[in-house]
Amino acid sequence: MRNLITCFLLVVLASVNGYTQVDRSKYPEPGPAPEIQLGEYESFTLKNGLKVYVVENKKLPRVAFSLVLDKDPTLEGDAAGYVSMAGELMQRGTTKRTKEQLDQEIDFMGASLNVGSSSVYAASLKKHSEKLVEIMADVVLNPTFPAEELEKIKKQTLSGLEAGKDDPGTIASNVAQVVVYGKDHPYGEITTEETVENVDLDKIKTYYQTYWKPNIAYMAIVGDINKKEAERLVKKHFDKWAKGNVPPKKYDLPKMPEKTTVALVDRPASVQSAINVTYPIILAPGHPDVIKARVANQILGGGSAGRLFQNLREEHGYTYGSYSSISSDKLVGRFNADASVRNEVTDSAVFELLKELKTMENEKVSEEELLNAKNFITGSFARSLESPSTIASFALNIEQNNLPKDYYANYLKNVQAVTLDDVQAIARKYINPDKAHIVIVGKGSDVADKLKQFGEVKYFDIYGQSYTPSAKSALPAGLTATKVLDNYLAALGGKDKLKQVKDVSMTMKGSAMGTELTITDIKKAPGKAYMLLSVPGMEVQKSVVNGNEAAIYSMGQKAPLDEKTKKDLIFKSILYPEMNYDAFGVNSTLTGIENIEGKEAYAVDIVLPSGSKSTQYFDKETGLKVRESASLETPQGTMNQVVDFSDYKEVKGIKFPHVSTMTVGPQKIRTEVVTVDYNTGVKDDQFKIE
Amino acid sequence: MKRKLFLTFFLCFALVFSMQAQNKIEFTEYDLDNGLHVILHQDKSTPIVAVTVLYHVGAKNEDPTRTGFAHFFEHLLFEGSENIGRGEYMKKIQSAGGALNANTTNDRTFYYEVLPSNQLELGLYMESERMLHAKIDQVGVDTQREVVKEEKRQRYDNQPYMSFQAKMFENAFKGTNYEWSTIGSLEHLNEATLDEFIEFYNTFYVPNNATLSIAGDINIEETKKLVAKYFQEIPKGTKEIPRPTYTAKPAKKEVREVVYDNIQLPAVFQGYNMPAQGTADFYAMDMLNTLLSGGASSRLNKELVDKQEKALQVVSFPFAMEDAGIFITLGLVSVGTDVGELEAAMDAEIEKVKNELITDTEFQKIQNQVENKFVSSNATVSGIAESLANYHVYFDDANLINNEIKRYNSVTKEDIKRVANKYLTKENRVVLQYLPKSAQKQPDNTDLNKEDKN
Repeated sequence: MRNLITCFLLVVLASVNGYTQVDRSKYPEPGPAPEIQLGEYESFTLKNGLKVYVVENKKLPRVAFSLVLDKDPTLEGDAAGYVSMAGELMQRGTTKRTKEQLDQEIDFMGASLNVGSSSVYAASLKKHSEKLVEIMADVVLNPTFPAEELEKIKKQTLSGLEAGKDDPGTIASNVAQVVVYGKDHPYGEITTEETVENVDLDKIKTYYQTYWKPNIAYMAIVGDINKKEAERLVKKHFDKWAKGNVPPKKYDLPKMPEKTTVALVDRPASVQSAINVTYPIILAPGHPDVIKARVANQILGGGSAGRLFQNLREEHGYTYGSYSSISSDKLVGRFNADASVRNEVTDSAVFELLKELKTMENEKVSEEELLNAKNFITGSFARSLESPSTIASFALNIEQNNLPKDYYANYLKNVQAVTLDDVQAIARKYINPDKAHIVIVGKGSDVADKLKQFGEVKYFDIYGQSYTPSAKSALPAGLTATKVLDNYLAALGGKDKLKQVKDVSMTMKGSAMGTELTITDIKKAPGKAYMLLSVPGMEVQKSVVNGNEAAIYSMGQKAPLDEKTKKDLIFKSILYPEMNYDAFGVNSTLTGIENIEGKEAYAVDIVLPSGSKSTQYFDKETGLKVRESASLETPQGTMNQVVDFSDYKEVKGIKFPHVSTMTVGPQKIRTEVVTVDYNTGVKDDQFKIE
Repeated sequence: MKRKLFLTFFLCFALVFSMQAQNKIEFTEYDLDNGLHVILHQDKSTPIVAVTVLYHVGAKNEDPTRTGFAHFFEHLLFEGSENIGRGEYMKKIQSAGGALNANTTNDRTFYYEVLPSNQLELGLYMESERMLHAKIDQVGVDTQREVVKEEKRQRYDNQPYMSFQAKMFENAFKGTNYEWSTIGSLEHLNEATLDEFIEFYNTFYVPNNATLSIAGDINIEETKKLVAKYFQEIPKGTKEIPRPTYTAKPAKKEVREVVYDNIQLPAVFQGYNMPAQGTADFYAMDMLNTLLSGGASSRLNKELVDKQEKALQVVSFPFAMEDAGIFITLGLVSVGTDVGELEAAMDAEIEKVKNELITDTEFQKIQNQVENKFVSSNATVSGIAESLANYHVYFDDANLINNEIKRYNSVTKEDIKRVANKYLTKENRVVLQYLPKSAQKQPDNTDLNKEDKN
């Protein structure tokens, strides 16, 4: 009230003094919270068991009828797709009407009617309700399942499959479904060309005869209609619907992932990767965790104020949007977090996404975030009540999921009761970045390599069938790792020239997180190396190798060095080791051809005597090394380090890459050579270890 | 200039009587001194309120060397203001229990919040901040530029067939300001300087180019006071607002293009130039559209999808804008059908409408369909607020929300035949045939590389 008075005073003042400055430095205070009232509904049940809920709302002269069967999902097996075709077919002919007549009569009223596998929705202006319900009942009670119409539907389904084959959204949802639920679960079944062929009228008719029974059906009637009118209409048209026994179905829980893996669908035309981090969860509707999970998810990825959106879009500009959901379901629920991002930031985006999931587990959210989330959910609840069908769906949910009668009446109270501890407990229970499927639909050659840091990368086709990319078959016969390495040395300038190199000195400049950095790299045969990474005014890291001794200095302090790292460091002091891999005990294997930045390259696995592994890639055409990829152990877990080499230029007759781009996790550091020279007579003092 | 506050309101109560009292949308509208048009509609059925602002600036107002600006602002203007920190705009609205968003067309940009009704003042504050002194700085520009690039990739480049709209407009509206799509050119956005963005804001984001439309659980008199409190001090724009004139080019010859895309199913898109929204012929074209593709019994659906089984899907829609329009028909072939065959079948249906008057039954059917659509259209307060603003800005008659149906009712069967003959001609259309990349001939792919660029 005070607010209104203040406002009124301001207005009066303004009328005398012209403009009075509004205090824009703070947000206006809200008025007293309006009361949120749930609308009323009435219900009745027919003798055959059909339960009907009526929500009267006279705002528009319209009425909508929706009928739902409360049945366990059907496992369709090798004829996946027949259940939804059954619904479609019901609308294609009854004992009273042909498809053409049905279409004509519905359209003539300006009405709509759609039959699904276990539901019907019909709506029209009030004045057409009588006719509409009569047609609805005709479709539900008297379908004839014409064979020629099924053939049409099958043909259309095949065309639809064809259209979906290049749609990243369809592919992502198919594959995610399969990896999350498994193909033996009704939620994991995919309709394919093969399963469509297996659909026949018998299956459809049996399905209809088994499940379309009034005693498992609910009807919601919403709009400009009262209970009396509704009761008369429904009784008149649905009384003859005969009840029957409907068998329940039970399903095993899908397998929960034990560790995080990447499911990659290679779509070479992609300019974006569609990312879904997803896995099954056990969360049934009505469980006390459901409301808490709603709050936790709001904070993580419920909208444009969520952490995912704020991080991936507003902070990094990786995506148009990033969201998450924690869904409850009677059989099995699901967690999902998604984003579509440009190819080159795919790994960075996955990294940030997983980081946000981990933070939810490891740290409590702030009081402010919790309050904001509760306010948002309260507001959404109020906004949803604008549509009268919300009240009907509340009634249906209560009935179908055996929720307490006052579930929605108490909903907001329960939202308010969620605590900071609840949110963290929920995150720990339901948010599992370490046991997730990372489903990516994108350009494999651009993204596959950099995804290895998150877990094993498995390839899937667009229907969720896993396969091993057969890169080896493409290799020219007789080609070996040694030959690839020899080609590389020849491309650099030839072994004779390389043998004459006694020392190499170079400096490189780059920038990371807005800071300029300089790298000095000096090597001298035999076995001496010096590398310094500095930022203006500070030596960040230095490593020195002198014969059998090696040392690393971090911020000027000598850092402890384990045997393996030391061995690797010493190995790296060798100039052009590829000339003598055998002598050094290096194992090299040619594994296949991969696409690196749009060009084909031979992949060679290298195992050093220390056991360290890496993969090196050599351009098929030029023979030059274009990439080196290795796993790194870091405090954040294993990460993949990828270094790309480009811009090879000759220096005194030997080619040298002038640009290197290193990618580790979300970090990308590009460095350019400033100076490089050979045989300048580097002094041994350079490599002194103290 | 010290006038009494209440005289600064130019009151014009629009009281029009309608046949259907049940659906009558009552509203109040007036102008502030600075030119801001205000429309208020009370609906107390749910304790929520939609606060919306429509700026009369769209892609067509852009400099042809700076396309994408209008849409870019739809992103930029959530970055904050002099008083609202970066990233706070969305958070504040949502933490108040509200939803918000915005959208851009060729003709206008629309912002809205739907809030609990006790947060009306917050909505007004937020929108007035956006209009008075939005934050336009390099950080915001750089971030949103990346976001818009992703939006383009997600919605167009990475989606099958979705290049059609840009190609259609490019051809159908060549030489006019409808030539480019709202998402515009990423190069233009890259080249633009911060000063250019500030200039655009100062030109278009002014009260005299805006309509504030509010619908929901409000008290009309209180709301007027709050509107004055937050919007009155915003100075009127001083720059001239560029309003390009549109001159339709005479139809000369059909434009055809084959597009090789990442698709499996070939498709055909036909776009016929047609008159602007609100014209008598537009309403006839809209009814013709219902005849062709409204519902399963419509001509294209019944004939091409069901009977001939040539198409998986056929769609038509009149895309009407402020100064011009385009009538689009499209078909996705069913497996095994040649795209040319489908196109011929679509043309045959168009020819039928041109040659034969439709039957009374069919005419009654499309009238019923139009009525149903019109009656159902005012189901939400945000939808009502938007429609009121659109009707005011485009036709200077917000009351069309109640009686636009009369314009449909005055369309005759003869009108439908007439407009089909007038606009659905070969000379007046652009045809795009979409074929899978795999169907592309290897040797002569010179001009193909153009399609690949993105």
